[in-house]
Amino acid sequence: MANSKNDAVENARRDLAKRLKVDAADVKERSVEDADFPDMALGAAESGEMSGQMITRGWRIQLEANGQTYEYRADKNQLRAFKFKGKNHRV
Amino acid sequence: MNRNNFFIHLALALVLILVAAFAGQLGRWRKQWRSHMGPVPASEKKQPGTVDEIALSETRSFGSPEVLVKFKSGVSDEAIEALTARLHDRVEDRIENADGVEAIDDLDNADAASIVAEYSKLPEVEYAEPNFEINLEEAEGPLVPVLPHDPQFENQWALSNSGQRGGKKGADISATMAWAKTTGSEDVVVAVLDTGVDYNHEDLTSNMWTRPASIAPYHDNELGTIDDANGFNAIDNAADPMDDNGHGTHCAGIIGAEGENDLGIAGVNWKVQIMPLKFMNAGGSGTTKDAIEAISYAIDRKKAGVNIRIISASWGSTQRTRALEAVIRKAYENDILFVAAAGNSSTDNDRRPHYPSNYNVPNVISVAALDRNDQLASFSNFGAKTVAIAAPGVDILSTWLGNEYEEKSGTSMATPVVSGVAALVLAENPRMSVDELKKKLLASTDPIVALKGKTATGGRINASKALD
Repeated sequence: MANSKNDAVENARRDLAKRLKVDAADVKERSVEDADFPDMALGAAESGEMSGQMITRGWRIQLEANGQTYEYRADKNQLRAFKFKGKNHRV
Repeated sequence: MNRNNFFIHLALALVLILVAAFAGQLGRWRKQWRSHMGPVPASEKKQPGTVDEIALSETRSFGSPEVLVKFKSGVSDEAIEALTARLHDRVEDRIENADGVEAIDDLDNADAASIVAEYSKLPEVEYAEPNFEINLEEAEGPLVPVLPHDPQFENQWALSNSGQRGGKKGADISATMAWAKTTGSEDVVVAVLDTGVDYNHEDLTSNMWTRPASIAPYHDNELGTIDDANGFNAIDNAADPMDDNGHGTHCAGIIGAEGENDLGIAGVNWKVQIMPLKFMNAGGSGTTKDAIEAISYAIDRKKAGVNIRIISASWGSTQRTRALEAVIRKAYENDILFVAAAGNSSTDNDRRPHYPSNYNVPNVISVAALDRNDQLASFSNFGAKTVAIAAPGVDILSTWLGNEYEEKSGTSMATPVVSGVAALVLAENPRMSVDELKKKLLASTDPIVALKGKTATGGRINASKALD
C-alpha cells in the first residue's frame, strides 16, 4: 500500500464514518498537517505491537463528526486511528 | 683528573653515546617492523587526508598546533589566512624547510582526525596530517587514523565529525582511530532483528550472511525445515528476509556497509556478516510472537555453529512481556549480546519503562541517541538507571532499499552504532564472553555533559577506546 495524502484523508473519513455509524458526508476534514512521529507505528501502536524506533514523516489528520474531533495518523504505508475511544487502531 | 681517569671517563662517555644511538635505532627498527606487521590502513594508496608510515599518538599537548597542512602552489598567504579564519583556526607557523607546510591551530581544540578530514576536503589543500607528539612510549601503538574512500563518507558525521553542517568537531565515535586497529571480521555474525535487509544492496551484499554448506537448513518441529540461505522471516515463517520497508536495511548499513569499496558509505565494520531476521512488516511494526521466533532462530543457529554474537534490536514498545524477556535471557545463556533502542518518546525509562531495552537481563544494552553537537536528541528516551549508553542517532546516513542511501533519525539509528562497535571488539577479541563484551563497551565512552544524570555511563560510545 502506497498512500498519498489525499488517499489517507479519504480512507480516514470512511473509517471514522464506519466506527461512528454515520454517513461519510457527515465527517468533516478539520486539518491535515505534515508531522514527524516518534516511531514507525506513528506514535499510535496497538496493544502488544512493537515498532521501529525511527522518526517517521507522515500526516496528522483531524476530522470532525458529531461535534467531536478525532485524530488519524498516516504515512505512505499505513493509516491509524489515534486513541479512538481510548485505543489506537491500525486501519 | 689524572691521565687514567680521563681515559676511563672518555670511554664511559663513548659507551653512553653508543647505547643511546643504539636505543634510537631500536625504536626506528621497531616502528618499521610495526608498520609492516601491524594493521595495514586502507589508506595505503596515500590519498590526501590519510596518514601513514609514522606511528602517532592520540595525545597532543595543549596549545600546540593540531594539523600540518600543505596548500597547493598558487594559493596565496592571504587566501590561507582567510580560509583558516573562516574555519576558526589560525596559522601558527610556516615551515619553509618542510615544503612550505603550515602548522595550523584549531581554536576550538577539536580532535586532529576531524580537522585533517576538514582540510583534506578543501580544493586548495594538497594534503593535511595531524601534528601528534611522537615519543618513545607513544610510538608503541600504530594509532594511524584511517579514512576510507567511500564517496559519501564525508557525510557520516557519526564516524568522523569534522564540524560538517554545523556539527561539533570530534562529536563522533572515533571510528577513524578504531579502524587503525581493526576494520572488522567476517568471522563475526550480527543478527539484525528488524524489517529484513535488502541483501542485494550494492554496499551490503558482500557482508551478508549466507548459510554455509556445513550447516544444515533450519528445522523447527512446528514449522518444519526451512532453507535459510539468507536468514529468516518470522512473519511468514519462511526463508526470505528481504526488507520491504527500509528500516532494517538502514540499520544493517550502519553496522556493516562494506568499507573502502568506492561505493556509498562505510559501516562501523568494513567487514562483518549481517544476518537478517525479519519480524516487522512493511509498516515497520511486528508482534511479540514473531520477535520471539526470530530470536529463537538465532539461538538455534548459534547452537548449530554460526558465530552469532550480537542481536541488534532497533524497536520496542512500552508493554512488558515475560516470554520476550525469557528468550532474550536464553540468548544471554548462549553468549549473545542484545543491543536495544531506548525509545523515541523523550521520556524517562526509569519512570516509564520501554521494552526490550528495559529488561533486566545481563546481555541487554539500552541505547539513547545523540545529535551532531553532542546533545541528547530531542526525541530520545533517557534513564540514569535504565539507559546504559548513547550513540549518534540524528541525520544518520545509511543504506536504503534499491541501492539508495538516506538520512534517518532515531534511537533505531543509535542502536546499530553500538552493535557495530561490539562487532569490532569481537573482531579483535573473538573469545570475549558476553559479560566481558558488555563491560568493555560500557567502559569505552567519552563523557558528555548533556548525558549527566541521563544515562548510566553518561557517555558516548568510543570505538577506539573499546579496542584498547
